[in-house]
Amino acid sequence: MNLHIRLEAAKNALNTLTKQPVATLMTVLALAIVLALPVGLFAALNNLQQLLGHWRDQAQISLFLHQDVSAAEVQKLQALLEGSTGVVSVRYVGKEAALTEFERNAGMTAAIQTLGENPLPASFVVELNPLAQSPSELQTLVAYWGQQPGVASAQSDLHWVARLQAILALGKRAVWILAGLLAVGAILVMGNTIRLHIAQRRDEIDVASLVGATRAFIRRPFLYQGLFQGAVAGMIAWIIVAIAVTVLQGPVERLAELYGTSFHLLGLNSGQGLMLIAASALLGWLGSRLAVGRHLDHTFS
Amino acid sequence: MIEFINVTKHYPGRHHVLRELSLHLRKGEMALLTGPSGAGKSTLLKLLLRLEDVSRGTLMVNGVDVSTLRRRHIPAYRRRIGVVFQDHKLLMDRDVFSNVALTLQVGGLTGRQIQSRVRAALEKVGLGDRAQDLPATLSGGEQQRVGIARAIVHTPEILLADEPTGNLDNSLSTGILDLFRDFHHHGTTVLVATHDQAQVNRLGLPVFHLEQGRLHTPEEDKA
Repeated sequence: MNLHIRLEAAKNALNTLTKQPVATLMTVLALAIVLALPVGLFAALNNLQQLLGHWRDQAQISLFLHQDVSAAEVQKLQALLEGSTGVVSVRYVGKEAALTEFERNAGMTAAIQTLGENPLPASFVVELNPLAQSPSELQTLVAYWGQQPGVASAQSDLHWVARLQAILALGKRAVWILAGLLAVGAILVMGNTIRLHIAQRRDEIDVASLVGATRAFIRRPFLYQGLFQGAVAGMIAWIIVAIAVTVLQGPVERLAELYGTSFHLLGLNSGQGLMLIAASALLGWLGSRLAVGRHLDHTFS
Repeated sequence: MIEFINVTKHYPGRHHVLRELSLHLRKGEMALLTGPSGAGKSTLLKLLLRLEDVSRGTLMVNGVDVSTLRRRHIPAYRRRIGVVFQDHKLLMDRDVFSNVALTLQVGGLTGRQIQSRVRAALEKVGLGDRAQDLPATLSGGEQQRVGIARAIVHTPEILLADEPTGNLDNSLSTGILDLFRDFHHHGTTVLVATHDQAQVNRLGLPVFHLEQGRLHTPEEDKA
Protein backbone atom coordinates (compact mmCIF):
# COMPACT_ATOMS: atom_id res chain seq x y z
CA MET A 1 0.00 0.00 0.00
CA ASN A 2 1.39 3.34 -1.08
CA LEU A 3 2.04 5.78 1.72
CA HIS A 4 0.72 8.71 -0.32
CA ILE A 5 -2.72 7.05 -0.55
CA ARG A 6 -2.86 6.74 3.24
CA LEU A 7 -1.65 10.32 3.67
CA GLU A 8 -4.27 11.53 1.22
CA ALA A 9 -6.98 9.64 3.12
CA ALA A 10 -5.74 11.11 6.43
CA LYS A 11 -5.76 14.62 4.92
CA ASN A 12 -9.24 13.99 3.58
CA ALA A 13 -10.41 12.90 7.04
CA LEU A 14 -8.89 15.97 8.74
CA ASN A 15 -10.49 18.26 6.16
CA THR A 16 -13.90 16.71 6.79
CA LEU A 17 -13.51 17.12 10.55
CA THR A 18 -12.29 20.72 10.40
CA LYS A 19 -15.04 21.69 7.95
CA GLN A 20 -17.60 20.87 10.67
CA PRO A 21 -15.88 22.09 13.85
CA VAL A 22 -18.99 22.24 16.05
CA ALA A 23 -20.20 18.74 15.17
CA THR A 24 -16.66 17.38 15.56
CA LEU A 25 -16.23 19.10 18.94
CA MET A 26 -19.55 17.76 20.22
CA THR A 27 -18.70 14.22 19.20
CA VAL A 28 -15.24 14.43 20.72
CA LEU A 29 -16.56 15.90 23.99
CA ALA A 30 -19.29 13.25 24.24
CA LEU A 31 -16.66 10.56 23.77
CA ALA A 32 -14.27 12.24 26.23
CA ILE A 33 -16.93 12.36 28.95
CA VAL A 34 -17.87 8.73 28.34
CA LEU A 35 -14.19 7.79 28.69
CA ALA A 36 -13.45 10.10 31.64
CA LEU A 37 -15.88 8.27 33.92
CA PRO A 38 -14.17 4.84 34.01
CA VAL A 39 -10.75 6.48 33.80
CA GLY A 40 -11.63 8.68 36.79
CA LEU A 41 -12.76 5.63 38.75
CA PHE A 42 -9.57 3.84 37.76
CA ALA A 43 -7.59 6.80 39.14
CA ALA A 44 -9.67 6.69 42.35
CA LEU A 45 -8.84 3.00 42.79
CA ASN A 46 -5.18 3.77 42.23
CA ASN A 47 -5.39 6.32 44.99
CA LEU A 48 -7.05 3.83 47.33
CA GLN A 49 -4.23 1.38 46.61
CA GLN A 50 -1.77 4.13 47.43
CA LEU A 51 -3.68 4.85 50.64
CA LEU A 52 -3.51 1.20 51.61
CA GLY A 53 0.23 1.26 51.07
CA HIS A 54 0.38 4.42 53.17
CA TRP A 55 -1.26 2.67 56.08
CA ARG A 56 0.77 -0.46 55.92
CA ASP A 57 2.82 0.47 58.99
CA GLN A 58 -0.38 0.52 61.01
CA ALA A 59 -1.02 -3.16 60.28
CA GLN A 60 0.25 -4.45 63.60
CA ILE A 61 0.25 -7.81 65.29
CA SER A 62 0.62 -8.01 69.05
CA LEU A 63 1.93 -11.31 70.42
CA PHE A 64 1.37 -11.45 74.20
CA LEU A 65 3.74 -13.78 76.00
CA HIS A 66 3.20 -16.02 79.01
CA GLN A 67 4.18 -14.53 82.39
CA ASP A 68 6.80 -17.26 82.84
CA VAL A 69 8.32 -17.05 79.36
CA SER A 70 12.05 -17.71 79.34
CA ALA A 71 14.70 -15.46 77.79
CA ALA A 72 15.63 -18.26 75.39
CA GLU A 73 12.03 -18.54 74.17
CA VAL A 74 11.91 -14.77 73.69
CA GLN A 75 15.10 -14.81 71.62
CA LYS A 76 13.92 -17.75 69.51
CA LEU A 77 10.58 -16.10 68.91
CA GLN A 78 12.21 -12.81 67.93
CA ALA A 79 14.39 -14.61 65.36
CA LEU A 80 11.34 -16.36 63.94
CA LEU A 81 9.41 -13.13 63.62
CA GLU A 82 12.24 -11.18 62.01
CA GLY A 83 12.75 -13.90 59.45
CA SER A 84 9.10 -14.03 58.37
CA THR A 85 7.84 -12.69 55.02
CA GLY A 86 6.08 -9.33 55.09
CA VAL A 87 7.46 -8.28 58.46
CA VAL A 88 8.48 -4.62 58.45
CA SER A 89 9.67 -4.41 62.05
CA VAL A 90 9.66 -6.36 65.32
CA ARG A 91 9.65 -4.58 68.66
CA TYR A 92 9.94 -6.35 72.02
CA VAL A 93 8.00 -4.71 74.86
CA GLY A 94 9.08 -6.06 78.22
CA LYS A 95 6.79 -6.20 81.25
CA GLU A 96 8.16 -2.95 82.74
CA ALA A 97 7.96 -1.10 79.47
CA ALA A 98 4.37 -2.31 79.00
CA LEU A 99 3.46 -1.02 82.43
CA THR A 100 5.07 2.35 81.79
CA GLU A 101 3.28 2.66 78.49
CA PHE A 102 -0.02 1.62 80.02
CA GLU A 103 0.30 4.15 82.81
CA ARG A 104 1.18 6.89 80.34
CA ASN A 105 -1.73 6.13 77.99
CA ALA A 106 -4.44 5.09 80.40
CA GLY A 107 -3.59 7.34 83.36
CA MET A 108 -4.38 4.52 85.81
CA THR A 109 -1.18 4.61 87.88
CA ALA A 110 -2.97 4.51 91.24
CA ALA A 111 -5.12 1.50 90.32
CA ILE A 112 -2.14 -0.44 89.03
CA GLN A 113 -0.14 0.26 92.22
CA THR A 114 -2.88 -1.27 94.36
CA LEU A 115 -2.32 -4.65 92.62
CA GLY A 116 1.14 -4.91 94.12
CA GLU A 117 2.69 -6.66 91.13
CA ASN A 118 2.83 -5.90 87.41
CA PRO A 119 -0.05 -7.82 85.74
CA LEU A 120 0.92 -6.87 82.19
CA PRO A 121 2.66 -9.48 80.03
CA ALA A 122 5.68 -8.93 77.85
CA SER A 123 4.84 -8.78 74.14
CA PHE A 124 6.13 -8.45 70.64
CA VAL A 125 4.69 -5.71 68.39
CA VAL A 126 5.12 -6.79 64.78
CA GLU A 127 4.49 -4.34 61.95
CA LEU A 128 3.45 -5.98 58.69
CA ASN A 129 3.19 -4.92 55.10
CA PRO A 130 -0.38 -6.04 54.31
CA LEU A 131 0.32 -5.91 50.57
CA ALA A 132 3.22 -8.38 50.81
CA GLN A 133 0.85 -11.33 51.25
CA SER A 134 -2.81 -12.05 50.80
CA PRO A 135 -5.09 -11.54 53.82
CA SER A 136 -5.56 -15.30 54.26
CA GLU A 137 -1.77 -15.87 54.20
CA LEU A 138 -1.33 -13.17 56.83
CA GLN A 139 -4.03 -14.75 59.00
CA THR A 140 -2.33 -18.13 58.73
CA LEU A 141 1.00 -16.55 59.67
CA VAL A 142 -0.51 -14.89 62.74
CA ALA A 143 -2.18 -18.14 63.79
CA TYR A 144 1.18 -19.92 63.42
CA TRP A 145 2.94 -17.35 65.61
CA GLY A 146 0.15 -17.69 68.17
CA GLN A 147 1.00 -21.41 68.56
CA GLN A 148 4.70 -20.85 69.27
CA PRO A 149 6.12 -21.74 72.74
CA GLY A 150 5.87 -18.79 75.08
CA VAL A 151 3.08 -17.07 73.21
CA ALA A 152 -0.14 -16.68 75.19
CA SER A 153 -2.22 -14.97 72.52
CA ALA A 154 -2.00 -13.07 69.26
CA GLN A 155 -4.04 -10.02 68.39
CA SER A 156 -4.13 -8.54 64.97
CA ASP A 157 -5.78 -5.59 63.33
CA LEU A 158 -5.61 -7.18 59.88
CA HIS A 159 -9.36 -7.52 59.51
CA TRP A 160 -9.76 -4.01 58.18
CA VAL A 161 -6.96 -4.65 55.68
CA ALA A 162 -8.75 -7.76 54.45
CA ARG A 163 -12.00 -5.84 54.16
CA LEU A 164 -10.37 -2.96 52.33
CA GLN A 165 -8.64 -5.34 49.93
CA ALA A 166 -11.95 -7.09 49.27
CA ILE A 167 -13.63 -3.74 48.62
CA LEU A 168 -10.82 -2.76 46.28
CA ALA A 169 -11.13 -6.03 44.39
CA LEU A 170 -14.87 -5.46 44.08
CA GLY A 171 -14.28 -1.88 42.98
CA LYS A 172 -11.79 -3.00 40.34
CA ARG A 173 -14.22 -5.55 38.96
CA ALA A 174 -17.00 -2.95 38.91
CA VAL A 175 -14.76 -0.44 37.09
CA TRP A 176 -13.87 -3.04 34.45
CA ILE A 177 -17.53 -3.83 33.88
CA LEU A 178 -18.36 -0.13 33.68
CA ALA A 179 -15.40 0.48 31.37
CA GLY A 180 -16.58 -2.35 29.11
CA LEU A 181 -20.11 -0.94 28.93
CA LEU A 182 -18.87 2.59 28.30
CA ALA A 183 -16.46 1.33 25.63
CA VAL A 184 -19.45 -0.15 23.83
CA GLY A 185 -21.16 3.22 24.30
CA ALA A 186 -18.14 5.00 22.82
CA ILE A 187 -18.16 2.65 19.83
CA LEU A 188 -21.85 3.34 19.28
CA VAL A 189 -21.35 7.12 19.55
CA MET A 190 -18.56 6.98 16.99
CA GLY A 191 -20.48 4.57 14.78
CA ASN A 192 -23.47 6.88 14.72
CA THR A 193 -21.31 9.91 13.95
CA ILE A 194 -19.61 8.13 11.07
CA ARG A 195 -22.98 6.90 9.81
CA LEU A 196 -24.03 10.56 9.53
CA HIS A 197 -20.80 11.43 7.71
CA ILE A 198 -21.42 8.54 5.32
CA ALA A 199 -24.94 9.79 4.64
CA GLN A 200 -23.54 13.25 3.87
CA ARG A 201 -21.00 11.77 1.46
CA ARG A 202 -23.20 9.15 -0.15
CA ASP A 203 -22.88 10.76 -3.61
CA GLU A 204 -19.09 10.77 -3.36
CA ILE A 205 -19.06 7.11 -2.29
CA ASP A 206 -21.37 6.13 -5.14
CA VAL A 207 -19.29 7.99 -7.76
CA ALA A 208 -16.05 6.59 -6.35
CA SER A 209 -17.53 3.10 -6.54
CA LEU A 210 -18.55 3.69 -10.18
CA VAL A 211 -15.03 4.74 -11.16
CA GLY A 212 -13.49 1.67 -9.53
CA ALA A 213 -12.80 2.50 -5.90
CA THR A 214 -12.13 -0.49 -3.69
CA ARG A 215 -13.82 -0.97 -0.33
CA ALA A 216 -10.53 -0.08 1.36
CA PHE A 217 -10.25 3.19 -0.58
CA ILE A 218 -13.76 4.26 0.43
CA ARG A 219 -13.42 3.02 3.99
CA ARG A 220 -10.04 4.55 4.78
CA PRO A 221 -10.97 8.25 5.31
CA PHE A 222 -13.81 7.26 7.65
CA LEU A 223 -11.49 5.02 9.66
CA TYR A 224 -9.04 7.91 10.02
CA GLN A 225 -11.89 10.15 11.15
CA GLY A 226 -12.77 7.67 13.90
CA LEU A 227 -9.12 7.25 14.84
CA PHE A 228 -8.47 11.01 15.07
CA GLN A 229 -11.64 11.79 16.98
CA GLY A 230 -10.99 8.91 19.37
CA ALA A 231 -7.42 10.06 20.01
CA VAL A 232 -8.49 13.65 20.70
CA ALA A 233 -11.31 12.38 22.97
CA GLY A 234 -8.70 10.36 24.89
CA MET A 235 -6.56 13.47 25.37
CA ILE A 236 -9.55 15.46 26.61
CA ALA A 237 -10.55 12.61 28.98
CA TRP A 238 -7.00 12.71 30.39
CA ILE A 239 -7.32 16.48 30.90
CA ILE A 240 -10.74 16.08 32.58
CA VAL A 241 -9.29 13.56 35.05
CA ALA A 242 -6.27 15.81 35.69
CA ILE A 243 -8.58 18.77 36.42
CA ALA A 244 -10.73 16.63 38.76
CA VAL A 245 -7.60 15.48 40.66
CA THR A 246 -6.41 19.09 40.96
CA VAL A 247 -9.78 20.27 42.24
CA LEU A 248 -9.98 17.46 44.84
CA GLN A 249 -6.34 17.74 45.93
CA GLY A 250 -6.87 20.49 48.55
CA PRO A 251 -9.88 18.92 50.36
CA VAL A 252 -8.21 15.49 50.39
CA GLU A 253 -5.00 16.90 51.89
CA ARG A 254 -6.99 18.71 54.60
CA LEU A 255 -8.92 15.51 55.37
CA ALA A 256 -5.66 13.58 55.65
CA GLU A 257 -4.29 16.20 58.02
CA LEU A 258 -7.31 15.69 60.29
CA TYR A 259 -6.31 12.00 60.53
CA GLY A 260 -2.77 13.01 61.36
CA THR A 261 -1.31 11.87 58.09
CA SER A 262 -0.53 13.29 54.66
CA PHE A 263 -1.90 12.15 51.35
CA HIS A 264 -1.35 13.33 47.79
CA LEU A 265 -3.89 12.40 45.10
CA LEU A 266 -2.47 10.87 41.93
CA GLY A 267 -3.85 11.33 38.44
CA LEU A 268 -2.75 9.31 35.42
CA ASN A 269 0.95 9.03 34.76
CA SER A 270 2.24 9.60 31.23
CA GLY A 271 2.25 5.88 30.39
CA GLN A 272 -1.35 5.48 31.53
CA GLY A 273 -2.32 8.67 29.67
CA LEU A 274 -0.79 7.43 26.44
CA MET A 275 -2.54 4.10 26.88
CA LEU A 276 -5.82 5.96 27.34
CA ILE A 277 -5.26 7.88 24.09
CA ALA A 278 -4.35 4.70 22.22
CA ALA A 279 -7.37 2.81 23.58
CA SER A 280 -9.66 5.70 22.77
CA ALA A 281 -8.29 5.96 19.23
CA LEU A 282 -8.86 2.23 18.85
CA LEU A 283 -12.46 2.56 20.02
CA GLY A 284 -13.03 5.38 17.52
CA TRP A 285 -11.53 3.29 14.74
CA LEU A 286 -13.66 0.31 15.72
CA GLY A 287 -16.88 2.34 15.76
CA SER A 288 -16.06 3.73 12.30
CA ARG A 289 -15.17 0.32 10.98
CA LEU A 290 -18.51 -1.13 12.09
CA ALA A 291 -20.52 1.77 10.62
CA VAL A 292 -18.67 1.99 7.32
CA GLY A 293 -18.57 -1.80 6.96
CA ARG A 294 -22.35 -2.01 7.13
CA HIS A 295 -22.72 0.77 4.58
CA LEU A 296 -20.24 -0.76 2.16
CA ASP A 297 -21.94 -4.14 2.41
CA HIS A 298 -24.98 -2.33 1.06
CA THR A 299 -23.06 -0.35 -1.61
CA PHE A 300 -21.09 -3.32 -2.92
CA SER A 301 -23.91 -5.90 -2.71
CA MET B 1 -13.80 -6.07 -27.50
CA ILE B 2 -17.31 -6.20 -26.06
CA GLU B 3 -19.33 -9.35 -26.64
CA PHE B 4 -22.82 -10.14 -25.39
CA ILE B 5 -23.66 -13.81 -26.01
CA ASN B 6 -27.36 -14.64 -25.56
CA VAL B 7 -27.56 -12.31 -22.57
CA THR B 8 -30.84 -12.12 -20.71
CA LYS B 9 -31.56 -9.77 -17.84
CA HIS B 10 -34.72 -9.95 -15.83
CA TYR B 11 -35.76 -8.89 -12.37
CA PRO B 12 -37.68 -11.30 -10.15
CA GLY B 13 -41.40 -10.83 -10.64
CA ARG B 14 -40.91 -8.38 -13.51
CA HIS B 15 -40.65 -8.52 -17.28
CA HIS B 16 -37.41 -9.26 -19.11
CA VAL B 17 -35.36 -6.11 -19.67
CA LEU B 18 -32.97 -7.82 -22.12
CA ARG B 19 -33.83 -11.03 -24.02
CA GLU B 20 -31.26 -13.37 -25.55
CA LEU B 21 -29.18 -10.39 -26.64
CA SER B 22 -26.08 -10.99 -28.74
CA LEU B 23 -23.86 -8.07 -29.69
CA HIS B 24 -20.27 -7.76 -30.81
CA LEU B 25 -18.16 -4.58 -30.73
CA ARG B 26 -14.56 -4.92 -31.83
CA LYS B 27 -11.65 -3.37 -29.93
CA GLY B 28 -11.18 0.28 -30.91
CA GLU B 29 -14.59 0.43 -32.55
CA MET B 30 -17.25 3.07 -31.82
CA ALA B 31 -20.97 2.37 -31.94
CA LEU B 32 -24.21 3.97 -30.91
CA LEU B 33 -26.90 2.31 -28.87
CA THR B 34 -30.34 3.61 -29.73
CA GLY B 35 -33.90 2.85 -28.83
CA PRO B 36 -36.88 4.30 -27.04
CA SER B 37 -37.03 4.82 -23.29
CA GLY B 38 -37.30 1.49 -21.47
CA ALA B 39 -35.75 -0.45 -24.35
CA GLY B 40 -32.91 -1.64 -22.10
CA LYS B 41 -30.07 0.72 -23.12
CA SER B 42 -29.20 1.77 -19.56
CA THR B 43 -29.47 -1.83 -18.33
CA LEU B 44 -27.03 -2.93 -21.02
CA LEU B 45 -24.55 -0.30 -19.87
CA LYS B 46 -25.11 -1.29 -16.22
CA LEU B 47 -24.26 -4.90 -17.13
CA LEU B 48 -21.07 -3.68 -18.80
CA LEU B 49 -20.13 -1.75 -15.65
CA ARG B 50 -21.16 -4.75 -13.55
CA LEU B 51 -23.63 -2.61 -11.64
CA GLU B 52 -26.12 -5.39 -12.42
CA ASP B 53 -25.58 -9.13 -12.81
CA VAL B 54 -26.42 -10.99 -16.00
CA SER B 55 -29.40 -13.32 -15.46
CA ARG B 56 -28.42 -15.72 -18.29
CA GLY B 57 -25.80 -15.76 -21.00
CA THR B 58 -22.19 -14.56 -21.20
CA LEU B 59 -20.74 -11.07 -21.31
CA MET B 60 -17.08 -10.81 -22.34
CA VAL B 61 -15.11 -7.55 -22.18
CA ASN B 62 -11.52 -7.57 -23.46
CA GLY B 63 -11.16 -11.22 -22.55
CA VAL B 64 -12.78 -10.89 -19.11
CA ASP B 65 -15.97 -12.85 -18.47
CA VAL B 66 -17.86 -10.07 -16.71
CA SER B 67 -20.83 -12.28 -15.95
CA THR B 68 -18.74 -14.46 -13.61
CA LEU B 69 -16.34 -11.81 -12.34
CA ARG B 70 -15.70 -12.14 -8.61
CA ARG B 71 -16.94 -9.24 -6.50
CA ARG B 72 -13.46 -8.33 -5.26
CA HIS B 73 -12.22 -7.97 -8.84
CA ILE B 74 -14.97 -5.56 -9.88
CA PRO B 75 -13.19 -2.32 -8.82
CA ALA B 76 -10.10 -3.18 -10.89
CA TYR B 77 -12.34 -4.06 -13.84
CA ARG B 78 -14.20 -0.75 -13.56
CA ARG B 79 -10.91 1.15 -13.57
CA ARG B 80 -10.41 -0.09 -17.13
CA ILE B 81 -13.64 1.62 -18.19
CA GLY B 82 -14.62 5.28 -18.45
CA VAL B 83 -18.26 6.14 -17.99
CA VAL B 84 -20.25 9.31 -18.73
CA PHE B 85 -23.72 9.79 -17.26
CA GLN B 86 -26.63 11.88 -18.50
CA ASP B 87 -26.92 13.53 -15.07
CA HIS B 88 -23.11 14.01 -14.96
CA LYS B 89 -22.85 12.66 -11.36
CA LEU B 90 -20.50 15.46 -10.37
CA LEU B 91 -19.69 16.20 -6.72
CA MET B 92 -21.12 19.68 -6.34
CA ASP B 93 -19.03 20.61 -3.27
CA ARG B 94 -15.76 19.87 -5.07
CA ASP B 95 -14.17 21.93 -7.79
CA VAL B 96 -13.73 20.74 -11.36
CA PHE B 97 -10.16 19.59 -10.73
CA SER B 98 -11.14 17.45 -7.73
CA ASN B 99 -14.03 15.87 -9.62
CA VAL B 100 -11.76 14.76 -12.42
CA ALA B 101 -8.94 13.80 -10.03
CA LEU B 102 -11.19 11.31 -8.20
CA THR B 103 -10.71 8.69 -10.94
CA LEU B 104 -6.93 8.91 -10.58
CA GLN B 105 -6.99 8.96 -6.76
CA VAL B 106 -8.99 5.75 -6.89
CA GLY B 107 -6.28 4.34 -9.14
CA GLY B 108 -3.59 5.22 -6.58
CA LEU B 109 -1.65 7.81 -8.60
CA THR B 110 0.58 10.35 -6.84
CA GLY B 111 -0.33 14.02 -6.50
CA ARG B 112 2.15 15.06 -9.21
CA GLN B 113 0.82 12.49 -11.70
CA ILE B 114 -2.74 13.53 -10.91
CA GLN B 115 -1.90 17.23 -11.47
CA SER B 116 -0.51 16.72 -14.95
CA ARG B 117 -3.12 14.19 -16.12
CA VAL B 118 -6.10 16.18 -14.88
CA ARG B 119 -4.74 19.35 -16.54
CA ALA B 120 -4.32 17.45 -19.81
CA ALA B 121 -7.84 15.94 -19.62
CA LEU B 122 -9.39 19.33 -18.92
CA GLU B 123 -7.48 20.83 -21.87
CA LYS B 124 -8.83 18.05 -24.10
CA VAL B 125 -12.43 18.89 -23.23
CA GLY B 126 -11.79 22.62 -23.45
CA LEU B 127 -12.05 23.39 -19.74
CA GLY B 128 -8.39 24.10 -18.99
CA ASP B 129 -9.24 27.45 -17.41
CA ARG B 130 -12.13 26.17 -15.24
CA ALA B 131 -10.20 23.78 -12.96
CA GLN B 132 -10.87 25.74 -9.77
CA ASP B 133 -14.55 26.41 -10.45
CA LEU B 134 -17.38 24.61 -8.71
CA PRO B 135 -19.68 22.59 -11.01
CA ALA B 136 -22.66 24.77 -10.06
CA THR B 137 -21.02 27.73 -11.81
CA LEU B 138 -20.78 25.80 -15.11
CA SER B 139 -23.38 25.41 -17.89
CA GLY B 140 -24.96 22.02 -18.61
CA GLY B 141 -22.61 21.44 -21.53
CA GLU B 142 -19.58 22.35 -19.43
CA GLN B 143 -20.69 20.04 -16.64
CA GLN B 144 -21.02 17.22 -19.15
CA ARG B 145 -17.50 17.93 -20.38
CA VAL B 146 -16.24 17.69 -16.79
CA GLY B 147 -17.94 14.27 -16.65
CA ILE B 148 -16.17 13.30 -19.87
CA ALA B 149 -12.82 14.51 -18.55
CA ARG B 150 -13.36 12.34 -15.47
CA ALA B 151 -14.18 9.38 -17.71
CA ILE B 152 -11.11 9.70 -19.98
CA VAL B 153 -8.48 11.03 -17.56
CA HIS B 154 -7.12 7.51 -16.90
CA THR B 155 -7.11 6.63 -20.64
CA PRO B 156 -9.59 3.76 -20.32
CA GLU B 157 -9.77 0.85 -22.75
CA ILE B 158 -13.52 1.33 -23.07
CA LEU B 159 -15.63 4.48 -22.86
CA LEU B 160 -19.34 4.13 -22.11
CA ALA B 161 -21.83 6.98 -22.21
CA ASP B 162 -25.46 6.88 -21.15
CA GLU B 163 -27.44 9.62 -22.95
CA PRO B 164 -24.56 12.10 -22.65
CA THR B 165 -26.39 14.71 -24.72
CA GLY B 166 -29.82 14.19 -23.16
CA ASN B 167 -30.18 17.68 -21.72
CA LEU B 168 -28.09 19.61 -24.24
CA ASP B 169 -29.02 21.63 -27.32
CA ASN B 170 -27.98 20.50 -30.79
CA SER B 171 -24.71 22.40 -31.08
CA LEU B 172 -23.52 21.27 -27.62
CA SER B 173 -24.56 17.69 -28.42
CA THR B 174 -22.49 17.83 -31.60
CA GLY B 175 -19.47 19.03 -29.67
CA ILE B 176 -19.83 16.29 -27.04
CA LEU B 177 -20.26 13.46 -29.55
CA ASP B 178 -17.34 14.77 -31.62
CA LEU B 179 -15.23 14.51 -28.46
CA PHE B 180 -16.18 10.83 -28.17
CA ARG B 181 -15.23 10.34 -31.82
CA ASP B 182 -11.81 11.88 -31.10
CA PHE B 183 -11.20 9.37 -28.30
CA HIS B 184 -12.31 6.58 -30.62
CA HIS B 185 -9.74 7.78 -33.20
CA HIS B 186 -7.09 7.37 -30.49
CA GLY B 187 -7.99 3.68 -30.11
CA THR B 188 -10.59 3.69 -27.35
CA THR B 189 -13.62 1.41 -27.75
CA VAL B 190 -16.66 3.67 -27.39
CA LEU B 191 -20.32 2.79 -26.86
CA VAL B 192 -22.77 5.68 -26.61
CA ALA B 193 -26.42 5.24 -25.71
CA THR B 194 -28.51 7.98 -27.29
CA HIS B 195 -32.01 8.64 -28.58
CA ASP B 196 -30.87 11.71 -30.58
CA GLN B 197 -31.71 10.53 -34.12
CA ALA B 198 -30.26 13.66 -35.76
CA GLN B 199 -26.85 12.96 -34.21
CA VAL B 200 -27.10 9.27 -35.11
CA ASN B 201 -27.68 10.21 -38.75
CA ARG B 202 -24.90 12.80 -38.72
CA LEU B 203 -22.22 10.56 -37.21
CA GLY B 204 -22.81 7.62 -39.57
CA LEU B 205 -21.47 5.09 -37.02
CA PRO B 206 -22.57 1.47 -36.47
CA VAL B 207 -25.86 1.42 -34.55
CA PHE B 208 -27.30 -1.18 -32.17
CA HIS B 209 -31.01 -0.51 -31.92
CA LEU B 210 -32.82 -1.95 -28.90
CA GLU B 211 -36.55 -2.37 -28.57
CA GLN B 212 -38.26 -4.23 -25.72
CA GLY B 213 -34.97 -5.80 -24.74
CA ARG B 214 -34.18 -7.20 -28.19
CA LEU B 215 -31.61 -6.06 -30.70
CA HIS B 216 -32.97 -4.95 -34.07
CA THR B 217 -30.81 -4.69 -37.15
CA PRO B 218 -31.38 -1.70 -39.49
CA GLU B 219 -32.84 -4.14 -42.04
CA GLU B 220 -35.41 -5.35 -39.52
CA ASP B 221 -36.29 -1.76 -38.68
CA LYS B 222 -36.82 -0.91 -42.35
CA ALA B 223 -39.00 -4.02 -42.83
